Amino acid sequence: MSVMCREVVENIIGYIESELDGETLRDLEAHLHECPECLEFVNTYKKMLEMAGKLRERSFVSPEVREKLKKVLQSKLKSSSHLET
Amino acid sequence: MQFFKKIKDVLSTLGERESSLTDEELVEQFVKTGDHEAYYEIWQRHGGYVYNLAYRITSDHHSAEEVSQEVMMQLIQKLDTFKGQSKFSSWLYRVTANASYSFLRQRKKYEKEVGLESYAPYDDNGTLMGKIMPKAWSDRPDSFLFGKESMEIIERAIGELPDSYRVVFVLRDVEGFTNVEVAETLEISVPAVKTRLHRARLALRDKISDYFMEWDKEKK
Repeated sequence: MSVMCREVVENIIGYIESELDGETLRDLEAHLHECPECLEFVNTYKKMLEMAGKLRERSFVSPEVREKLKKVLQSKLKSSSHLET
Repeated sequence: MQFFKKIKDVLSTLGERESSLTDEELVEQFVKTGDHEAYYEIWQRHGGYVYNLAYRITSDHHSAEEVSQEVMMQLIQKLDTFKGQSKFSSWLYRVTANASYSFLRQRKKYEKEVGLESYAPYDDNGTLMGKIMPKAWSDRPDSFLFGKESMEIIERAIGELPDSYRVVFVLRDVEGFTNVEVAETLEISVPAVKTRLHRARLALRDKISDYFMEWDKEKK
């Protein structure tokens, strides 16, 4: 069992992306069936990725930052060569 | 004077006007004629995303502002290098990711970063026995896992990853870049991306587990 825990961890990307060969996959799933630690590891790993994907919807731009960047943009455009033409 | 009045007029409408032109058409307009209204429109559409991505990669608001300004300047100077081979937004996000990474590398130039090369959750015997279940959290409801507190916990945990691992994790798992896109953006090899991603995910899963446990203790 001890060797298989390490193998679950080191093959986790291949496992969740369905890239493992048949034999490795069978061995790994047999281990997951009998090792609650590894099963929890895989489940939390998947949940973490789901949570990370949701982070993209979060915004950190406050109205103050937006206003500040607007002023910077104003100044940069004024000094840019495009405006000299 | 007339020229500055025009700028003032444009600025006063910033945030109010919306063009029906595509990003690519706005870029072309700016590159060909120097039309600053076109540039404003581009920034209005994507400036927020630029800031958000810079913040996620640098994990610091002040740094995100600096990177945003750098990207703003790069765009003014280099928009003509956009060749239209990909969507403009994809190109811009890669420019932003690259600028953020360069910023981090510059900042860390004289500091030795703690690596995660050998990071693993199992013990010396290769077992996870007793290391995962005491901090189990997979059966928590989605309303908790995707709620405000949990999102803040994962943000904080990501912010604690070493820079070179955080940037890979953010691009790949938050922003949805492919391994190849991450490698091209950061100018590292695909195997290096995979290695960093693997270690970053392992470390992050552990950090989140610790944070949830701490959170539980505080609530009791």
